[in-house]
Amino acid sequence: MRRLNVGTAVAGGLIGGSIAWFLAHQFLATDNPSGSNQVTILTMVGWAIGFMIGIGAFHGPWCWLMGRDQSHEDEKFLAGDGQGIGRYFRFTTDHKVVGIQYLVVTMVLLGVGGILAMMIRTDLIRPDSGFLSPQVYNSVVGLHGLTMIIATIIMVTGPFGNFIVPIMIGARDMAFPRLNALSLWLIVAFVPVLFSAAVLGGIPTGWSGYAPLSDQAPPGMDAYLTAIVIFAISSAIAGANITTTILTMRARGMTWNRTPIFVWGTLASVGLAIPAFPMFMGSMVLLGVDRTVGGQFYVASGGGSPWLYANLFWLMGHPEVYVIVIPAVAALMELTPVFARKPLFNYTAAVLSIVGIVGLSIMVWAHHMYASGWAPDLNGPFMLTTELISIPTGIIFLVVLGTIWRGRIWTTLPMMSTYAMLWNFIIGGVTGIYLSDVPADYDLHGSMFVTAHFHYTLMGAGLTGAIGALTYWFPKMTGRMLDRRAGFASFWLVQIGFNVTFLSMFAAGLAGQPRRVEHYDSLFGVANLVSSLGAYVIGLGMLILLYAVVSSWRRGPLAPANPWGSKTLEWTVPNPIPLENFEVLPVVIADPYGYGEGDLRVPVPRAPAPAEAVAGAATGADGATTPTGAVMTRTDAPPIPEQERP
Amino acid sequence: MSSVTIGEPAVHLEDPDKVGRRWRTGILLLILADGAFVAALLFSYFYLRGLNTEKAWVAHGQATASIVVGWLLAGGVVLSAALYHWALRGIRAGSEPRLVLGTLLAVAVLLATAIGQVMQLTTFPFGVADSAYSSALYTLAGANLFHLLLTAFLGAAMWNRGRLHIYSVTSNWQVRLVGLWWTWVAGAAVLGAFTTSFIASPNVGG
Amino acid sequence: MTAPTFGARARAWSRRAEVRGVFLIWVVLTALLCLFSFVPARLMGAPASPTKQAVETTMTLFTLAASPVAAFVWAIAIYSLVRWRHRGKQAPTEDGPAIRTNTPASALWVVVSSVLCLFLLVWGFVEVQAVATSASASDAMVVDVTGQQWVWTFSYPQEGNLESDQLYLPVNRPVIFHVTSKDVIHSFWVVQMGIKVDANPGETTQTSVTPDRLGRFDIRCAELCGLLHADMETSVHVVSPTDFRSWLRSNGGPG
Ligand SMILES: [Cu+2]
Repeated sequence: MRRLNVGTAVAGGLIGGSIAWFLAHQFLATDNPSGSNQVTILTMVGWAIGFMIGIGAFHGPWCWLMGRDQSHEDEKFLAGDGQGIGRYFRFTTDHKVVGIQYLVVTMVLLGVGGILAMMIRTDLIRPDSGFLSPQVYNSVVGLHGLTMIIATIIMVTGPFGNFIVPIMIGARDMAFPRLNALSLWLIVAFVPVLFSAAVLGGIPTGWSGYAPLSDQAPPGMDAYLTAIVIFAISSAIAGANITTTILTMRARGMTWNRTPIFVWGTLASVGLAIPAFPMFMGSMVLLGVDRTVGGQFYVASGGGSPWLYANLFWLMGHPEVYVIVIPAVAALMELTPVFARKPLFNYTAAVLSIVGIVGLSIMVWAHHMYASGWAPDLNGPFMLTTELISIPTGIIFLVVLGTIWRGRIWTTLPMMSTYAMLWNFIIGGVTGIYLSDVPADYDLHGSMFVTAHFHYTLMGAGLTGAIGALTYWFPKMTGRMLDRRAGFASFWLVQIGFNVTFLSMFAAGLAGQPRRVEHYDSLFGVANLVSSLGAYVIGLGMLILLYAVVSSWRRGPLAPANPWGSKTLEWTVPNPIPLENFEVLPVVIADPYGYGEGDLRVPVPRAPAPAEAVAGAATGADGATTPTGAVMTRTDAPPIPEQERP
Repeated sequence: MSSVTIGEPAVHLEDPDKVGRRWRTGILLLILADGAFVAALLFSYFYLRGLNTEKAWVAHGQATASIVVGWLLAGGVVLSAALYHWALRGIRAGSEPRLVLGTLLAVAVLLATAIGQVMQLTTFPFGVADSAYSSALYTLAGANLFHLLLTAFLGAAMWNRGRLHIYSVTSNWQVRLVGLWWTWVAGAAVLGAFTTSFIASPNVGG
Repeated sequence: MTAPTFGARARAWSRRAEVRGVFLIWVVLTALLCLFSFVPARLMGAPASPTKQAVETTMTLFTLAASPVAAFVWAIAIYSLVRWRHRGKQAPTEDGPAIRTNTPASALWVVVSSVLCLFLLVWGFVEVQAVATSASASDAMVVDVTGQQWVWTFSYPQEGNLESDQLYLPVNRPVIFHVTSKDVIHSFWVVQMGIKVDANPGETTQTSVTPDRLGRFDIRCAELCGLLHADMETSVHVVSPTDFRSWLRSNGGPG
């Protein structure tokens, strides 16, 4: 078990896949579509099981079955103790390692999704460019959509929910470290399954995979459905783990009204994901039955219904939008007080808005189906719930604006993401209101207007928030400062390119261009040309961001423990962060937003120390001793950094 | 990557009871996730039955599954859950032999039910492709079988670990949590039997 | 010393530099956005039915309603970047004022956004009602629309089931479309008339419109339906009643 790593995992996956493929060919008829679908799914499942065996995921359950519980030494090994860089390539349980692994996986997915986006925009640069054939174009659209959806689902709660949240709440690790590693490696196993769709005929259905088009699609669709099943299992495990961590492992004194807003956002996101993605998995299992053994779930002539798929899909699909956006916006709400040097404005309202959005988000799914004819009488009620969401969403703006109001605005890279969100999310929100209006949606549904709208929310608010989070926590996660010049260059290119791309896409949609078309009426020529040029600017900006991250990670200037003067707990641990984060568990006596409350910045009286807590001293990155005492959120360490180095 | 471990790593040991309470939350959340999956399947059954698209929910002249067999299989799962809880009561009262015997019986009943489930699957009087109804029955039966095998694994672990004297009157939170899961699986089986008791679509109008 | 009256406090508040600055930017931005509010409807082109006309009105009205809100958010953002910005690469040496919350401001925000939301809802429900009543006109013509990969077929059950791959409609007469599909989901979209409904296999869905402008307009499929989805488009010809009769006759209909 100690020799297992990603290499043995890939070997295991290849062996497992080959065995499954061989057996399937031996025993199944492969001369019809159902047969080749069976072979594809079995091979993928074989790959996934072999991969998980190869990484050592089944070692723990097996030992448990046999009654051999792991020793203290085993646990230390699993946590990656003393393994240097190798621990990033193993079934490592340390939440910081898992967080970094998630970050890398997210970046890979975003990179591939981005390349696919460039291909789409290149095809659409002229009305009839012929750059991609219709078949390839449809596949690229589907793969782009699905890759980006998965990437954005994990982009905040994966890297930052795993790396930052446990430290932020004053815990030594996640509640279930082994499940944490399991969820990560399932995602790693999932990636090749997803991309294998590209060589198996593609996903010609768009990311939504609507039946019965998906029933008649090539074996790429089997890759899609197997990938989603793996992803759903991973996200359910990750969701249960992060939720349990937040519910049960907050530091002493971290009551719900002292819990940082990012923790609330993460909790809302993963909590929403727990019931949402298994439903997606359910719809995929039914699709698998249809495709492999002639099931009739989505086939009208056999008593099935495409509306069943649409309902199951959007029952997951709408909560999923908030799974993506809430933690990203919550990260921005977390960092805005730091750079405005003011308390978070109306903390209670911020929490209530997150709770309100979560509550409403499970009652709005059918606004994606106004025009489906599914239940016209329900369109009114769904319009009601959908438009009600504008109230809690508006409160997010109140919180951010109130925090900025009369602040000392320190325009760092993370803070600029907040400003970009204020711009983009207003546009995304207002266009969402048009679409929530039933008659307007009858016209706009299925057009480029919708595509532009959800890019404004998922990318303009979501991805922008994730980039804000990355630039904010980069010094803590890597121990180095991010290259400021390259970072700002990337920021402006991405944001300007983004607005150019998608504002003109709104214009194309209003003029009547449908979504997901490989060529279009020359009427939409100008809007598409501008949109494509904007997309290249985004691409360039993203490449610069990648350069900034990679180069700063390798040789950027070392970061002090708390370069921003933040008051949350993750900034009280030294760089590099020791295994298990805290020698002495902190006790929280106030919320982390006490900016400007001058008298409280002098050392506060110590909270009653818990039995295990001994007043200690932690070593800072520069070797200086920072008094931490019984650690509190209003740390008595000087919160002002020396410098934000370029 | 510069974040390397410095100094003596801590690796603190935690109070097992605290870990147990944490696992309880985790198991409940995983049950919630699995519940959403089961709910999606049951919803599909009722939705397609209610819609009765092209009057083909049950194909014309098609045989349907025996409701009694469905309830018998659910009864098997419930019985195994009851046996398991009898074993759990045993260890909580300090009787290790009762834990070992009870878990063994529970697993045996569960595996017998699983065999019954396989027999039902292979002897349905219709093919999976006959109608939406038959597809749904095969799928629900398959999902139930998967549940049973997973639970049998947990039960086997409980039996083996009980045999190895791992649990005691004070330390048995794992046994309790497996009981929680077992109860849910029994509930899911009953829900499945209940659902499949409604066969003919109420939507037969013009 | 007595507490200042509400009026006095409001006057003092309105004399503050940041209040005046934000107000000024807000007024300018609101004016600009109100001008912009007429752009979406322009981009949507000339409507060919009252339905599309109503959608364009909705777009303009919602943009007008959103203008002061968006302008307010951006006004504070711009003002803060200009006037409250801490310059230099070092962290600010002192914190901002410790404002934890402001109950009147928060309450006002929630009330205003609720009122706006209520307006959207009332407007939406009134429109939905209007759509529903137009669908029940007694002199309506029925057209059966069938989608299949990747063509549309139209048939006129009241005219001897005459079939055509181009849609001909008499002007100013309500039409009810019964839409279905032979294979996968398509979506029947008459762009300039602002109507759309999915064509589902095994189900018949319905939408209706009264074309009120002569001319040739676009029908596009709005749901990805496979290889040639982009080519699944055809035309609707809105003609005078006499021309419609002669079209029916020349295509073997009863006329
Ligand atoms: Cu189509």
